Amino acid sequence: MKVVTGVVGNDIHVVANRLIDLSLRARGFEVFNLGVNTYLEEFFDACVETGADVLLISSLNGEAEGWGREVKGLKAKYKHLDDLIMMIGGNLVVGSGNAEDIVPRYKKYGFDLVCHQIDLNTGLDTLEAFIEKRNS
Amino acid sequence: MSENADKLLIDIGSTYFKLSTKDHIEQHFRDFNKDILDDLLHHCGSTINSYAKEDVHICSSANGGLNTLIIGVTNTYSLKYATNIAFNSGINIIDTILYQNIEDYSVPSDLIDVVIIVGTIDACVGTFSQSLYDYLDKLEYSNIVFVGSEQDAPVIKAKIEKVVVLPNIIDHKLHIVEDHLKQYLTNLYQQDIEGKEDIKHLYDITANQIYPTPYIVNRALPMIDARYSVVNPFILLDIGGATTDIHYSKDLVDENIVTKNEFDRLVFKKLGVYKSKQSLIFTAKNNEFVYELLMHLKVTENIFNEQGEKATKILMQLAIFLVLCKISHYRKDYINLKFLTINSFVLTGGITKVLNTAEIEDIVSFFYKKILNSEHRPKVVLDSNYDIWTLGTKGEESSQ
Repeated sequence: MKVVTGVVGNDIHVVANRLIDLSLRARGFEVFNLGVNTYLEEFFDACVETGADVLLISSLNGEAEGWGREVKGLKAKYKHLDDLIMMIGGNLVVGSGNAEDIVPRYKKYGFDLVCHQIDLNTGLDTLEAFIEKRNS
Repeated sequence: MSENADKLLIDIGSTYFKLSTKDHIEQHFRDFNKDILDDLLHHCGSTINSYAKEDVHICSSANGGLNTLIIGVTNTYSLKYATNIAFNSGINIIDTILYQNIEDYSVPSDLIDVVIIVGTIDACVGTFSQSLYDYLDKLEYSNIVFVGSEQDAPVIKAKIEKVVVLPNIIDHKLHIVEDHLKQYLTNLYQQDIEGKEDIKHLYDITANQIYPTPYIVNRALPMIDARYSVVNPFILLDIGGATTDIHYSKDLVDENIVTKNEFDRLVFKKLGVYKSKQSLIFTAKNNEFVYELLMHLKVTENIFNEQGEKATKILMQLAIFLVLCKISHYRKDYINLKFLTINSFVLTGGITKVLNTAEIEDIVSFFYKKILNSEHRPKVVLDSNYDIWTLGTKGEESSQ
């Protein structure tokens, strides 16, 4: 299964990005890592070029809040991404916030899976469970 | 001039031709009623006849290059990579099509020299469908090349007559692979030049391949320190009679493209001061800063209707300003150069015979002040003796 991943916006948290890459590979995913400072259009375009099944966006500095609002509108411009699993994780707000508020907000932005300040392995377990459920 | 001992170098431009021997350089205005070879022999027959065919090296930009239509599946990867390769092969892009919306695009009425189809990594299959073939049925083209997923190649080959299939220009890490397409396009460009009746005749005086001038100039750039104290990063403007070429250090762009080339180039086909004069004036009239620039130069727009040395000077100055606008955030055409990090502007071509350093600096500083609101002033270097061209030809010779 193919996953496109990277860090959205002006965010250079490369260590977390590398850990996500390694963890996904260890679980058998084929990973296309766009690295840090990635724009939304690059993510979607990479999904088209690779035929990815999953888009996993990470954000550590809270910039996702701004970019997240653009996701639905931009994705709608692509004609063949309806089945793409959309996941976002990391620290999704500037300052503090609780998951009860944040998760529904990001789901409204168009993400299927939202992991705010959740351990990486737990997040990836959630992804695998989601895929299993979808395929069953 | 570089020391190409007993070699004769000839550059055929759209307006002038230049000859360089080890002793001197001469330049002549072309007589458009004559065949290029007849014109050359009329002006410099004795010089040309004193060289053996093996020692004559010719480059030409007189034919303007090829037109391309690129069909790709995303803006960030397939279209961008193919566009970059095409520009660097000396091709003029006429249009790009985002495949998912192909049905919304009108079909160009002109004959397309080469259509490029690109999209997805090799692991993907079934990228293109009937909508591509329907579009191509309506299109008139001379050549067509597929550089997408290798798994799609058999279907493409079966459905599109005379398609050339080359290795994918996108590798499995989404990086660009430029060699095969670049070689194919460069060869097409060569064949186009060689196929032109005027140029064909030039093989009567040379036994060497005739190269496109922008290719020769681009080759010279890594060696430019040998002739000038140019501080990197720099851009080079070659403003001629029909076209304007820009060559720039890759350090000046934020790109996701990693290639072996240190320098990219762009060709603006209808931006020149002689053959493309009317198109230059049209572009100028549509630029809101041009009237202010004309005031700055102490002339009015009546200068557009005038002939002579002063009018040519003003047009040259306008051409510099317009081309800088095209590659800045103000009128982003294809790239947006980081102007505040440019250390040198190098100018070559006919412009060096018309403007002096101070006149060019004046325009550059106007551009920085008005468009970028900056006091930054890069150094201006004039290649008034065509050193860059001779350096590039020399490089081509030594690589053979």
